[in-house]
Amino acid sequence: MSAPAAAAPARVGLFRWKAVIPLALFLVLVVVLWLVFADRLGKLALEKGGTAALGAKVEVEHFHIALTQGRLEIGGMTVASPFDSLKNLFQADQLTADIGILPLLERKVEVDQLAAKGLRFSTARTTSGIVPSKGPSATSQIMDNTKSWASQPALQVPVLQLATGKLSIDSLDPRRLSTVQEAQHLVGRADSSRKAWATAAQGIDVKGTADSARAFAARLQHASPTDLAMINEARQQLDRVNQTRDRLTALQKSITQGTKDLQQGVAGLEDARQRDYAFARSLVKLPPIDATSLGWVLFGPAAVEKFQRAVYYTQLARHYMPAGMLPREDPAPKRVRMAGTDVRFPKEHALPGFLLREAQLSFFLGQQPQAYAGTLRGVTSDPALYGRPTTADASAPGIQAAALLDHVHPLSRDTLGGTFQNVSLPELRLPSLGIRLAPGGGAGGGGTVGFGFTLVGDSLRGHWTVSTTHAAWARDAGATATSQATNLVWQVLSGIQQLDVTADLSGTLGAPRLAVHSNLDKAVADRVQALVGDQVKGAEAKLKAQVDAAVDDQVAKAKAQVSALASEAAGQLGAQQGQLAQAEKAIRDQLSKLTHGIPLP
Amino acid sequence: MVILKLIQSLFNTLHSEGTPGQVAAGMALGAFLGLTPLASLHNLVVFALILLLNVSFGGAMLGWALTTPLGFLLDPVFHRIGRTLLVDMPALTPLWTRLYNMPVMPLTHFNNTVVLGSVVFTCAAFVPLYFLCRVGIDRYRVHVAPRVMQSGIYRAITASKLYNAYRFFKPQ
Repeated sequence: MSAPAAAAPARVGLFRWKAVIPLALFLVLVVVLWLVFADRLGKLALEKGGTAALGAKVEVEHFHIALTQGRLEIGGMTVASPFDSLKNLFQADQLTADIGILPLLERKVEVDQLAAKGLRFSTARTTSGIVPSKGPSATSQIMDNTKSWASQPALQVPVLQLATGKLSIDSLDPRRLSTVQEAQHLVGRADSSRKAWATAAQGIDVKGTADSARAFAARLQHASPTDLAMINEARQQLDRVNQTRDRLTALQKSITQGTKDLQQGVAGLEDARQRDYAFARSLVKLPPIDATSLGWVLFGPAAVEKFQRAVYYTQLARHYMPAGMLPREDPAPKRVRMAGTDVRFPKEHALPGFLLREAQLSFFLGQQPQAYAGTLRGVTSDPALYGRPTTADASAPGIQAAALLDHVHPLSRDTLGGTFQNVSLPELRLPSLGIRLAPGGGAGGGGTVGFGFTLVGDSLRGHWTVSTTHAAWARDAGATATSQATNLVWQVLSGIQQLDVTADLSGTLGAPRLAVHSNLDKAVADRVQALVGDQVKGAEAKLKAQVDAAVDDQVAKAKAQVSALASEAAGQLGAQQGQLAQAEKAIRDQLSKLTHGIPLP
Repeated sequence: MVILKLIQSLFNTLHSEGTPGQVAAGMALGAFLGLTPLASLHNLVVFALILLLNVSFGGAMLGWALTTPLGFLLDPVFHRIGRTLLVDMPALTPLWTRLYNMPVMPLTHFNNTVVLGSVVFTCAAFVPLYFLCRVGIDRYRVHVAPRVMQSGIYRAITASKLYNAYRFFKPQ
């Protein structure tokens, strides 16, 4: 068998003309497939792209693109909130857009007019709309950054301090009580004094003097009046008795003074006891609750949540609507093969990749059937090309809202703001306390909510106010009071209908400052302090009893010892004085008999 | 059935249909489909060329099949090439900017790093690949094909009626 290569064709043409028809059929097939699947592909692209861009589900019920008429219709659009899993950011009944056909050939979307009808905000949903990130993406990065921003220490609320609301009491060590030390010292002094006085009394030898004097008086009975020696000795005996008495008197004075000192020491024990009471009170640590921090505790989390959302949406806008004209690299949409990155090359005076020139918005608020109007202008992927900032405004009776996203210049300026009067208040939660301001602001009507947020570069300024005269508070089902203070806050709030909350944000993204005030601060603080005051009194009484228990025995012992010493000393001195007096009297009586009443010279 | 047809196509392409040059050109064009991301506008053009030019359709399919796994493997290389061209070479930025703002060109996804890198790589590899395939087919037809044609499996495959459908696109 010969090799097939040997039979090579002599000459072949360049084109295979018979394949033109199959190619044409193939192109027709592509067109037919486009016509059949364009709406489905568009719906899929919108849902996937929107979900990826927002970080929450974007769902579309109906999608139709009519290229020949340049019209795009979207029905039943639901955009979930990236923050509340069971809430929608908004729902739209119908979106109709006039799109440019030629820009599509440049892969650019230009929407001249968009009519959005039946917009509803913050509607409930039955399934979670938050889409967890499956990998690194700009949106997930922005969400992470925003959460990090909100978790900065400057924006953290000291919930636990109010939630516990308990006193801290250090243990009482009896050895550190001055009363005990002083009482023990006093007992020691009393013992020392007793010994010193006994020694001094022995040195005076009252008994020996008195006995000697009495013995001499007995001898004197038998003496003759002319016995001058006896008379002279009698004088000497009297002098000795007098000297002993003088020494005894001096000792008595000393004992009296010493006893007085000891009794002063006893009196000083009461002062020491008062000092010990003060020391015991110092062991009671009050919780750091004051009116200014209460505003933080009560409404700080809600305020941070509002500002966190504003930061997220402005950061998202800055990512998808970046300032400047430089080429920009973004991760490409995922595909089976490696996605790589898409690089955009904006060109001056050219159309942006996406441009929505103007949108007329028709929306409902709450359950009210009346439709309100708003306008959105200049939403674009390349603000520098469009040359004008994105603006939005909406107004209705009692409602004014506006936004301006200026990314035309290198320094981006984003401003959002609005005032909503007589509207149903949003549910305001105080999670640390299990308490919430019921939606609607109570049976009597709504309230006023104001919000303002400005981000220039990375400088922040925010303002959030809530005001109502019909505040209705509710306690979460299953919420349990973690402390008496928490319980008390609930008691205070449940009785207050007038609510005014103000939160001010300032600083920078890296170093924000937040101040929160409300009219409830002082009311709650007073009640919490009253509660803490009662606790303080109880703790003090307990500590006072501990002090008394540790001190009483020592004080009683010292008092008894001093008292016994004083009476003992007085008794002994009295008896000794008596002995001396009797001895002197005996000598003088005998002398008087001897001299027949003539006094001695 | 499709797989069977492809196998028929493979054997017939390698054995006798078309010159080695036609088969090699088909394989080199098919490499575009395999090495570059398939869902790109330029591949529509490549596919049209495969149909309209008198190259081996089977060779193109064979080239596509052989290079697809290679494309997946080389994607990081393509990304690096594309990124170098799109981002790291400022001198090219005006060119890309002009292309990016021209009609139709953005639809080719040339501004994607993997797409541009793979297209550039495949363009550069086209001529070497063509000659490599041509030499390979020559040698295959001389040394391997006679033994394959004697095998029972080959006879069974070529006996299928699906083979006839394929013949419509065989090189003239």
